[in-house]
Order: sequence, then structure tokens, then C-alpha cells
Amino acid sequence: MGIILGMALPYVAFSVFVVGTLLRIVGWMRIPVPFHLTLFPVPEDKAGSVRELVLEFVLCRSIYREDRLLWLWVWLFHVSLLMIVCGHVLGIYFLRQQFTLVGLSSETSQTLSVLLGGVAGAMMTLSLGALLCRRLFRREVRGLSEPDHYFELILLLAISVTGIAMYLPGLHAELPEVRAYMAGLLLLDPVPLPRSSPFFVHFLLVNLLMLYFPFSRLLHSAGFFVNRAMLAEAPPVYPTPDRSRPRSDFSSRKIHPDIPCPMNVADKEAGSK
Amino acid sequence: MKIPLRLAKREDLRIIGVEPVAEAELCSRTLELMGEFRAFARSFSVMLETCTGCGACAKACHSYLGTDDFFNIPAARAGLLRRIFSRYFTWSGRVLGRFSGAAEFGPGTLDSWVDYFYQCNACRRCAKFCPFGIDTGEIVLAGRTILTRLGRAPAFMVNIARNELTTGNNTGILKPAIIDSCSFLEEELLEETGLEIRIPVDKPNTEILYLPSSSELFVNSDTLMGAAKLFHYLGVDWTLSSTLLEAANYGLLFDLDVMKKHNNRMRIAATAVGAEKVVMGECGHGWRAAKMYSEGANGPFPFQLTHILELVTERLPDLNLTKLPIRATLHDPCNYGRGAGLVEEPRKIMHACVEDFTEMTPNRDRNFCCGGGGGLLMDEMTEIRMELGKEKSEQIRRLLPLDYIALPCASCKAQFPLLLKHYGMGEVRTGGVLDLVGRSLVLNRQQDERTSPQDCLGG
Repeated sequence: MGIILGMALPYVAFSVFVVGTLLRIVGWMRIPVPFHLTLFPVPEDKAGSVRELVLEFVLCRSIYREDRLLWLWVWLFHVSLLMIVCGHVLGIYFLRQQFTLVGLSSETSQTLSVLLGGVAGAMMTLSLGALLCRRLFRREVRGLSEPDHYFELILLLAISVTGIAMYLPGLHAELPEVRAYMAGLLLLDPVPLPRSSPFFVHFLLVNLLMLYFPFSRLLHSAGFFVNRAMLAEAPPVYPTPDRSRPRSDFSSRKIHPDIPCPMNVADKEAGSK
Repeated sequence: MKIPLRLAKREDLRIIGVEPVAEAELCSRTLELMGEFRAFARSFSVMLETCTGCGACAKACHSYLGTDDFFNIPAARAGLLRRIFSRYFTWSGRVLGRFSGAAEFGPGTLDSWVDYFYQCNACRRCAKFCPFGIDTGEIVLAGRTILTRLGRAPAFMVNIARNELTTGNNTGILKPAIIDSCSFLEEELLEETGLEIRIPVDKPNTEILYLPSSSELFVNSDTLMGAAKLFHYLGVDWTLSSTLLEAANYGLLFDLDVMKKHNNRMRIAATAVGAEKVVMGECGHGWRAAKMYSEGANGPFPFQLTHILELVTERLPDLNLTKLPIRATLHDPCNYGRGAGLVEEPRKIMHACVEDFTEMTPNRDRNFCCGGGGGLLMDEMTEIRMELGKEKSEQIRRLLPLDYIALPCASCKAQFPLLLKHYGMGEVRTGGVLDLVGRSLVLNRQQDERTSPQDCLGG
């Protein structure tokens, strides 16, 4: 059991996460975009479009326009997610000594790392809780919610709560042990899972999340770019430049051959009157 | 909410090349068509699969705000299609079923699509407020095209499509009637200005082919006369075409095959009169169809293509315009603001033509639809259209007193008078932007004597 959960599952979960997500994105990208779906206004040049996309990605400006409260929770959640992902990589690799690299003392680095992790974890839990409440209590959003909407929020909440639980005395996970375990996984020489129950649950839930991700609504993270790239396309110019390639086979497709040719009918009927 | 939409009869559908599907085959054919559409356009699956149900679109949608019907929330509207798509085309829907919001195709499925896809004006405002830019209008138009192929399309739209395909204009008028109407308008122009201002039809070897909305021959004739005055003043060599007397393209709104076929007429008509440049008149979805869809629908388009308001803006320094003493506002047609990026041009023209130009809020690409877009102008939908236009009426009310609302779109021109009357603002005049250009253009007569708004708005 320990071998399956500790040594095999992480590889399966990670592969499903990466391959599944890529397959979904490739599946979208293989389909043509037969028409210009530009949503105006669009910047004049490519650099401007990229800037807009980055600003939208970083600041979620679209939601800010209509619903400031939703924006607050959404933005807090994603920022805390970013902090936590970075914090996990740095904090585990450097055993909370990452801030010594910028000249702080070992103790300060330790404290700062714990503090930042705690704040980010609290922010994530709070924002997820708020988003869950919004789903439950706002009439419109409740109507739009399917069971998996709740499942995804609760799964993320469970991950963040078990993560925070490791801050509590007695539930603490030994960081060097975790580091050794992760290193084993990454170096393809897996060692058994550390025996701290919050860590164990936390780690399994993250694996579940990775397994579920490509099939879930969490794929909106990729859909964001694929969709917005269509909306940001530069409008066409006329006469169409010679170098332009057909957007899809629709432009050369024969349709409704049985419908009378326009010119003839208009002229014939006009002539007969 | 059930809508009173009249659907086209089988024999009418056949005229536009649609063979209605038998009851027993509806489910399989629907899924087949969805599969085809999924392979046809990337937007279909990306937009259906990316929604997280956050509800940010609810308050952005005039249809939901006006009707307070849950399924008019853009995400819920698209959800009617999404749940079927999910069940048959996604991994999670096939395995997890209802857990992931998937639903089996059932007897009520298509009815719900008809009811809610035809309460959407495809104005794309939701895409502005969606964090992912999901354009429910795009999903709705895809859904309508699928419905049409199944044999469910509004009688109103099918009739217009038939006219477009056979005569080249929405009203179905033929060349003799077109020539009659144009000579009548020429007489009107002569009476008003004392000048021989021509409205040429099928004039060979002209520089510009002008495509007005065909409704301008009868109801919005001030717009066409405005264009005629403008071309006369500038000495432009222009003509109308009896083959394509229409800026609109209803195919965009319910059947992409019709859209393609009708769009191709632009090329045929421009070639026939030897024009180098096609100029589109005041029509919202028509301008979007022409500008944004021509290349995708019929390949390289070998002519210049511009909008009449772009042309006016370019030539503003050459025009002798007197500012009309009226207080006017501009309604941005959705297909200009969000759909085709025609935003500052009408404003520059308004500033040049009226003394007191005032903006409504919100405006430009965030403007609310008037409720008349997306081809919902059929009589039986009037009552629902008034609900769809509620948000717009409130925008207008905040600007009162107002003499004139400029509407550079034939659908808006049809919707606004009813809307204003319904909400007790019937005294406000409406019309095109070109109408104002026509009135403020100093051609030769003493036009400075007009002092009251009534004088300068005519009638």
C-alpha cells in the first residue's frame, strides 16, 4: 500500500496531469478558427496584445469591471496559489533558508518563510471559503453550480487546510524528511512517504487534484489563453493580402448547390416584370 | 420562459436548402451536428469547456437584467448546450454524468434551445465581463445554426434569408421597384435642396458600390438620402446594385451557409459594376459580417471594404457642415462597438453635426444592446424585446430631455421607436448618423434659418 501510494501514485498522477492537460490543449488548437472573432477594442500591434493579455491574466480586469467582491476573492486565491507553489519549491529545497540568499540571517529566513507560508495559506483558505459561500448563497451562482463545482472547491479547501494543519504543534512534518522524499521522487529513486498524518493526507489530495485536473473545470487556466488569443486577433484587412492562407476549408466549401444562383434569379425575375 | 416565436414551415426551409429532420432522428442528428460544429470552429469547444460558472456575466447581460429569467444568464444560456455537449463529447461528462453537469438529450432539449437562444441578441457584452472572454453570442449563433439544420428556425429569418438568396435584399424587392423608389427619393431630394442629386442603380464602371440597408428605400429613407447628399457633395462616383441592395446578412444570425452564400454576393455585385471599393451602410451585424467574416467565409476578398461612417470621418475636413441646434446622443450598435471596432468615427461625426452631443453611460464597447439585435425583430417577439430593451430605456431616461438618438444600425432603428414609446419617451426622435450628416451638410440653400429642433429634424 505504502509503495503504491508513496512511490507509484505520484508518477501516475503527474503523468496524467501533464499529458491530459496537453492533450486537451492540443485538441483545441487542432481545430481551425474559421472567422475573425476579434472582440474590440484590440491593440494595434502584437506587443500591445501580449501586454493586454498579461495584464488581464495578472489582474483579472474583466471581473473587476462588474463585480469587485468576486474579483477580490478570485484575485486573492490565485495570488496565494502562486505564492504557495513558489514557497513549496523554495521552502522545501532550501529548508526555509531561501532568504539567506538575499542576505538575511538563518533565523530571520526561517521566520519569514513560516510567516509568508502561513499568510498565503490563510489567504487561500479564506478566499476559497468565500468563493464556496458565494456559490451557496448567491441565487444566480447557486443555479449555475453543478456538483463538481463544489467538489473542486472542497478539494482545494481540503488541500489548503491540511497544509495549514502542519503548522500546528504535534502535526508538524519534518521538512528534511519531506525534502528527502521529494528528492527521491524527482531523481526517480523513490523512498517511502514520511509518516506525518497531515502531510500524508495533504500529499494524497494533491495527487488526486493532479489526476482530476485535465478533466475538470480547473482547465480554465489553459482555456483562458486559447480563448483570449482568438478574441485578440487583429482584424482582417481588405483587399485580402496575397500571402494570407485559408482560415479553414469553409471558404472553399460548396454549399446549397440547389439554391438558385443569385444573379440569374434577380435578373430573370426583374426581366419578367 | 416559453417564447412565442413562429417557426418556419418545412417547405420554406427547403427553399433555403434545409431538409428538416424526422422526429425519430432528432437526437442522433443533433449530436452529429454538434460533432461537426466542434470540428469546424475552435470557439465552440473552448468556450463551452472553459466556463467555471462564476456568474460574472449575469449582471452584464441586458437580457437577464430585463427578463429576470435564470436561463437568460449567459452562462446558464450556454449551459443548455453545454450539458448536452458535456455528456456526449467530454471525458468527464461521459464518465461522471450529472456530477459534472452533463445531461442526456431529452424531448425538451431543443425547445429550451429555441426559447433561450432566441432571447439573446448576440451582443457579446458578456464576453467583455467574462474573465476568460467567453462569448455566449458565439455559442448562441452556433446553437442557432444547429437548430436550423435540424429544421427549427424562425419563420421571420427564413423569409428574410430567402429574400437575400433570391433577390439580394431583405425586403425582396426587384430591380423595377428599386429604380422606382430611387427616383422617388431623387424627387424628394430635388424638392428639399433644389439640386439634381442622383441615386444611381447598377451604374457600370463606378468607383464605389454602396450597400445600404434595403429598409432605407422605404422607412429609413433619410439615411439613404444622407448618403446621396454626401456622395453628391464630394463628387463621388457611386452606385447601388440591384443584385445586392443590402448591408445585412441574416445568415450570420441563424445559418452560416446562408451567411456564406449571401456574403459571396458582395464579390459578384462589385464585379458586376466594376467597383474597386465596397462601402457598407448603416447596419450593425451586416458590417460585422462583411468586415470580420468575408475572408473566412469566401476566401480572399479582392476589393477595398470600408464603412460609410469611416468614409465620412476621413472626409470631414472637406465637408461644410452646420451644427444642428439639437441635443443628441449616440447609441453604439453592439456589432460596431464590440463586433467591428467602429467607435470613434460616429462620435467625430456627431460632434461635427450637432451643437449638444451627449454620451450615454455605459458606452462604446461596454454599451448595452437595445434589444433589437441578433435578428429578433419579428412581430411576435415585440413584447419580449421591450423587456430586453429595459436597460437601454433606463440609459436614455437619464439623458432626458433629448431631441435625437443617433442609431447607425437598421435593427436599432426598428427597435428604438417601439422601445421609447413603450417606456413613455415617444417624443424623442431617432434615426441614423448619416441622416444628421445629410441635414447639416450645407449644399446650397439657406439652411441657417432653421432654429428649432423640429425644423432641422424635419416633419
